Amino acid sequence: MGEAVTTPALVFEKVRKTYEYSHLGKTTYTRGVEDLSLSVASGEAFGLLGLNGSGKTTTFKLALGLLRPTSGRISVLGGPPLDAAAQAATGYLPELPYFYPFLTPREALRFYGRLSGLSGAALEARIEKALADVKLLDRADRKIGQLSKGLTQRVGLAQAILHEPKLLILDEPVSGLDPLAIKDFRDTLQRLNAAGQTIVISSHSIVELEKLCHRVAILRDGRVAALYEQAQWAKNEGGLEGLFVETVTAA
Amino acid sequence: MSGFRTIGIVAWNTFQDNLRSRYYLLCLVFGGVVLYVSLLLGLLAADQEVRVVLDFGLSLIELLGLAAAVYGAATIVLREMETKTIYLILTRPVSRSQYLVGRFAGLMLSTAAVMAAMAALHLPILFWKGWAWSWLYPASIAGSFLKLLITAALTMFLALASSSILTALVITMILWTLGHFLPEIRFMIRWNAGAQGAISVPLTALSYVVPDLQLLNLRDMWERPAGMVRPVAYALAYAGVWVALAAARLRRKEF
Repeated sequence: MGEAVTTPALVFEKVRKTYEYSHLGKTTYTRGVEDLSLSVASGEAFGLLGLNGSGKTTTFKLALGLLRPTSGRISVLGGPPLDAAAQAATGYLPELPYFYPFLTPREALRFYGRLSGLSGAALEARIEKALADVKLLDRADRKIGQLSKGLTQRVGLAQAILHEPKLLILDEPVSGLDPLAIKDFRDTLQRLNAAGQTIVISSHSIVELEKLCHRVAILRDGRVAALYEQAQWAKNEGGLEGLFVETVTAA
Repeated sequence: MSGFRTIGIVAWNTFQDNLRSRYYLLCLVFGGVVLYVSLLLGLLAADQEVRVVLDFGLSLIELLGLAAAVYGAATIVLREMETKTIYLILTRPVSRSQYLVGRFAGLMLSTAAVMAAMAALHLPILFWKGWAWSWLYPASIAGSFLKLLITAALTMFLALASSSILTALVITMILWTLGHFLPEIRFMIRWNAGAQGAISVPLTALSYVVPDLQLLNLRDMWERPAGMVRPVAYALAYAGVWVALAAARLRRKEF
């Protein structure tokens, strides 16, 4: 019996995104990503590395339908980014998430859970599980406006995993967190990935990507400059950091 | 998930968020204080005391409701774009139109709650002054609410079209003022239709954009009560058009 063919979780084919700004009749164009092609397999933990302005956040926003590509094709879980089924099966944690300050984490999760199609006892059970996963049960009924940055980030992860998405897109999830919180985050993500969830993550913390990801793409000037597998950085003396520096400083 | 359920979820979130904000609480406290100040004005009006307390209260309820609705409509989406809370909604199975209609419905629900609370403060004063209950009172409040519905829809479109809260507020205030003079603008169009027809063209165009707020000024028709069907149909149609245009604008936006 042959191996079953699974649909890739995320596909970019020759995608270009050019930002257009008009001011006082003058239009300027800025490159977001250029000729970007990549494919993330279902169940994979995939990392995006790059310097500031290399196109990581643009890539995520294109995958989520927050931006439209200038050209090229994007497929999320087999459908276009704005397909309702794909959106229902995707979880997203933006960099520095912001929440309604008057809501408590539990209320915020109830709101996002309902928008993801959950309701009743199933929703309440998922809320409890997500709060437990991010170790936020003891602060679940405090107003979000009163929580620290690290705890707010945990609410961000909880809303992303609440509906048990097939694909999890995380933009700089550990920025500004203390070392213990980073370890908690990594443990949670490893557990989710082991359970079959696809994770696409960007981070400036190379160590975190090294520990979590099966493959890492290095973006430079909006293009995939290099794609490395776990085995490659494992046998490289400088690890993933060495490969990264080598790639971004290459002429 | 049905579109109406999604709209309802977003609307309820807006309602909760608004009622917990200090701005709405301040509106209510300020409204309460000023309504009681109206008692002093009533004393100065001698035999017209009840009429003054009635008119002053109804005007105040409308103006405070207007402030809440217009400020809310100007900021509700732009603030979410700025704080990026909109990302966590639009990356779920929520269309941009559902999001916008939900936010607008929640805003109007909050405005209705503030107006109802202020009316609840106003009515005891009126009864104390010997006013006899009339169904024209809730009709007047409903007319004010319809004016706010139209004005808020217009403001929301202007805010999305200009991406500027200040621009939206300024243009709204101009149109809101003109909206109370639409009968006069129409009179000028008829008056200019002959010899100076050129003037009537821009005036006619203006008359289609400016909302007819005088039609909804039911508290001015206390002596000659008008039916509610035409004002309600007009307000819903006018607000519907501007909300639809705002939704079309939002669909084109990138974040």
